[in-house]
Amino acid sequence: MPKHVTPLMDELEKGPWPSFVSDLKRQAEKNPQCWDIVGQMELSYKDKMTHWKHGGIVGVFGYGGGIVGRYSDVPAQFPGVAHFHTVRLNQPSSKFYRTDLLRKLCDLWEKHGSGMTNFHGSTGDLVLLGTRTEELEPLFYELTHELNWDLGGSGSNLRTPSCCLGKARCEWSCYDTQAACYGMTMKYQDEIHRPAFPYKFKFKFSGCANDCVAALARSDLSAIGTWRDQIRINQAEVKNYISGANKPNGGGVPGKTGFDIQKEVIALCPTGCMWMEGDTLKIDDAECTRCMHCLNVMPKALRPGLDQGASIMMGAKAPILDGAQLGTLIVPFIKMNPDGEFEELVEVIEKCWDWWMENGKNRERLGESIQRVGLPTFLRVMEIEALPQHVKEPRSNPYVFWRDEEVPGGFERDVKEFRKKHAQ
Amino acid sequence: MAMSIEELKEKILDKALNGPKAQLYVKDFHAIDPDASPRAVKNAANDLVKEGKMVFWSSGSTTMYAAKGRAKDEETREA
Repeated sequence: MPKHVTPLMDELEKGPWPSFVSDLKRQAEKNPQCWDIVGQMELSYKDKMTHWKHGGIVGVFGYGGGIVGRYSDVPAQFPGVAHFHTVRLNQPSSKFYRTDLLRKLCDLWEKHGSGMTNFHGSTGDLVLLGTRTEELEPLFYELTHELNWDLGGSGSNLRTPSCCLGKARCEWSCYDTQAACYGMTMKYQDEIHRPAFPYKFKFKFSGCANDCVAALARSDLSAIGTWRDQIRINQAEVKNYISGANKPNGGGVPGKTGFDIQKEVIALCPTGCMWMEGDTLKIDDAECTRCMHCLNVMPKALRPGLDQGASIMMGAKAPILDGAQLGTLIVPFIKMNPDGEFEELVEVIEKCWDWWMENGKNRERLGESIQRVGLPTFLRVMEIEALPQHVKEPRSNPYVFWRDEEVPGGFERDVKEFRKKHAQ
Repeated sequence: MAMSIEELKEKILDKALNGPKAQLYVKDFHAIDPDASPRAVKNAANDLVKEGKMVFWSSGSTTMYAAKGRAKDEETREA
């Protein structure tokens, strides 16, 4: 029996798509506090303003993240959501779950919270929605001691790292994204659980440039799989695509007939590095940007090279204080070696953090810090020489800045000597 | 030369207790000892939280530090 009259929320149950309002009402049959979520949202829709108070000092002992405080500003009207804290759990790499663990987690969450969940938050965490302050410590104890499950990151912490399916399911993955994600999660436990930075910092790991976790757009530091030798070509399979024996895109375009390699692959190559010689496909790998388009269209014929690793981009973010930014290529290639505990990646991460912790302003994402000081300065911080891969095209930017030590004799001039030669 | 961890903690707590701002970002403590590394400052502030002398205040996207009793308490704050 509904506790509140909610005509505006009821509108969101109409239509063929799933409705979170229906989910809330179903859960409310078991847990009446969920009626107050629907009721408070109805009031917010009516008033056209939120009735949540934001943030707070809630958390579990020893952790400075993972719990986000939420309180209702109309608790007398909606006592079920007077406290409605969010709990972020560190999802397993690539979100592979054991169903028995999920059942136990749901039981635990019904015991200590609203029973409502969000699979998953935009960073990747498994999110438990809505509990009271006094339930946090018992929930955390059972989570960690019985389910062996930890909280994720929030606030000015390293946020829970996330990765694509990687080598578990994907033949294109150029490194073991799950090993990297898990390895960095374990290495940087202190940074995940205790605030260390001027603002949030996110890692994401994609195995190839298809970038299935959208690392390029969403993470301060993204490791995107790539290779530095030649694309492996199986010319017999190329012919099978041309003859129609192989379906392009792995048959992923239903109803599509015919295949024009010139139009669908060669003409769409962003650097124009492919051509046909007779019925043989040729690629000038030095010009290839590893965009993955040709491999996606002809997966049986083309495969990533064998000298594999990752490109490191930095500075992506959503628009909070400043506009949205994609990541900027900082390190074109590093090896991603799990046996070496991702030593090269760790070196890049720590160099960047050491600088940002000291130089980043409060609430300034890494991308904004890089923009403020300029890419040449940041490259110097990272001890990386500017490379052709750092620019989109040559000679389109007239503002080339030389430093004193880069100019023979520096910028100091003897004016009298200069006048002797030029004062005519 | 950088301060010892105990000296650093003492100065951080003093700033949190007696400074004009009730809630501070971790960077606000850096000026206490310019020779200390940002990590050392962060560790000192975190130690004070563990000891119950300071608390974290988090909006969910940002985290600040405050001396116990000086942080905004959203539970009791009027909207």
